[in-house]
Amino acid sequence: MKELKHIFSFPFRKKLNGEYLISLGVSVAAALLVGALIMALCGHHPLEGYGAMFRGALSSPRALGDTLAKSATLCLTGLAMAVAAQAGIFNVGGEGQLYLGAMASAIVGGYLTDWPAWLVVPLALLAAMAAGGLYALLPAWLKVRLKVNEVITTIMLNSAAIYFCKYLINGPLKTTERGISAGTVKIGADFAFAKVVRLSNLTTSIFLSAAIALGIWYLMKRTSAGYEMKMTGQNQRFASYMGMKSGKLMLMGMLISGAVCGLVGMFEVFGIHKRFVEAVSNEFYYDGMLVAMIMRYDPVGIILMSLFFGVLKIGATGMEQIGIPSEIVLIVQSIIIFFMAAESGITAAVKARAVRTRARRAAQRAGKEAGA
Amino acid sequence: MSDIFNIGLLQNTLRTTTPVVLAALGIMMTDHVGIMNIGMDGMMLCGAFFAVLGSCFLGSWGMGLLTALAVGLVLGLFFGVLVIKFKSDEFIIGVALNIFAGGLTVFLLRTIFGVAGAFSGSQELPIYGLPRLNWPWLDSIPLIGPLLGGNTLLVYASWALVALCYLFIYKTPMGFWMRAAGEHPESLRAAGISPEKMKYLASLLCGLFSGLAGAHLSLGYLTMFTENMSASRGFIAVACCIFGRSNPPKIFLAALLFGFIDALGLRLQSVGISSNLTSMAPYVVTVVMMVWVVRRAEHKKQKLALLRG
Repeated sequence: MKELKHIFSFPFRKKLNGEYLISLGVSVAAALLVGALIMALCGHHPLEGYGAMFRGALSSPRALGDTLAKSATLCLTGLAMAVAAQAGIFNVGGEGQLYLGAMASAIVGGYLTDWPAWLVVPLALLAAMAAGGLYALLPAWLKVRLKVNEVITTIMLNSAAIYFCKYLINGPLKTTERGISAGTVKIGADFAFAKVVRLSNLTTSIFLSAAIALGIWYLMKRTSAGYEMKMTGQNQRFASYMGMKSGKLMLMGMLISGAVCGLVGMFEVFGIHKRFVEAVSNEFYYDGMLVAMIMRYDPVGIILMSLFFGVLKIGATGMEQIGIPSEIVLIVQSIIIFFMAAESGITAAVKARAVRTRARRAAQRAGKEAGA
Repeated sequence: MSDIFNIGLLQNTLRTTTPVVLAALGIMMTDHVGIMNIGMDGMMLCGAFFAVLGSCFLGSWGMGLLTALAVGLVLGLFFGVLVIKFKSDEFIIGVALNIFAGGLTVFLLRTIFGVAGAFSGSQELPIYGLPRLNWPWLDSIPLIGPLLGGNTLLVYASWALVALCYLFIYKTPMGFWMRAAGEHPESLRAAGISPEKMKYLASLLCGLFSGLAGAHLSLGYLTMFTENMSASRGFIAVACCIFGRSNPPKIFLAALLFGFIDALGLRLQSVGISSNLTSMAPYVVTVVMMVWVVRRAEHKKQKLALLRG
């Protein structure tokens, strides 16, 4: 069988540095420019469009709350991607893990309504982590034990999990409540996270999110386990020679990644929907994945970048109000990735050209001097 | 049982197989030069959208197909420039391509046609679908007649392309160079042929195939475009390519298997099994097959090692 070694070659190995941040700034500006061009071509005023975006994301307490809540989701999913990627395993299956985590927590919250909240909420957290983590462990185990490429399996498991949840909410777990076309029963009234800002999606789960983000940063940057994971990710053979159990580290990275994704699902259920509905996630994980890739899996970078992407995402609803389809944001985001992925290649090409021109000029000058 | 296993099952199998085969042939091209194109799903989606666009505004299925092919070429070139010239990671470019395609098609769907979700033609802008070919002499044969006759153009084209691709990859100098560009680029360069050119050729061909696959989705049996209508078929095609070890006839067999499972799912709905459960089948089977293929490869390796002793 032809090796899929090219998939394992890890991208964005280089560290974040000044040069990288400059090209990031240029990429973001260029992507916004392309977005403006597309808007102009479709007959919208670009400045108005971006104005509506920033107004939509930042102009009221509610909008700010929504933006912050969105950023927290992006940050957690991005960190989930990063922690697995650091150990050298690509978790593209976060969406499925998120769905299963949300489903597990919705079942705990919906069927243990007689129990006290101080018991149910931690139980739901655990259930979500277990569901997401175990579902992530399956492809990780397949990769470590049987060397089955995890990219394909995780993508496939996404669709499988989503259809499975759809089956549950339309079949065995369908609520009999009126007005809900498909969903589980409502969770107990006192289980839900309280709103921090009225009418917004910002709930007290933001504090948990912050704690988790901090925990993952600590794990990745300040613990020996994080260091060993990084070594495994960079050079598995070397890590093995150094006596690190690379398989175990990969499994651990994936388990944490899946557990975090499950928690994101739990936050959606206990914070916003109060039950499992199909709309519990709208490709949240892919958005987080983009953030993680752009920031080269650097935890601090991911936290900061998710704030910017949160503005883009929530701002899109503001653009929607003046008639610009919110999908423009997806286009802008993916263009940032195109630029950033090609960044080193483009910089190298630009530098090479600069060197060539300088050499040519020098040669011309030398020629002139010789002629004179 | 006759509700499930009947001629309709086989017909559905052929229908669901076609887009996967076309996409998998495209992925095979890049796979031979050592590039894994995970962005096929998005490229197909673009193909499907632009096929509808061309068909509506240029007024014929042929123009729709041409538009899809042109867009496929552009995407193939774009992918090629980023991956080959700028040496970006093909996996990241692929993921970004998928997200880009999802955003672009919905954005354009809403901007141009003014609808959200799906567009299936309107009074002023009908979508011209691919013609169905009827073979009178075939219809007289029982079983085979209804099965093979009356399909759209691209179904027959996909069968022909499987054979053509096999000949191209394994029997022509160009195909040989392409394989060499993936396996021994330096030897190829020493032989005076640029591996980069072969890689570009592969990603352009891949783009063309994505256009065909997309056009089949939106102009084939259904003449409509719906949001995210590629539905991970691009990824299943990647899996088919892996199962088939990038060998066209084997890829076709793998795709047939998926088509069969997909079609079986559709049939099982008629006996009251939830469509959501049956929709899981192709994805779960992909995972199982991945494991099986890798295990088999390992076994072979071990056997060889034993023989060499």
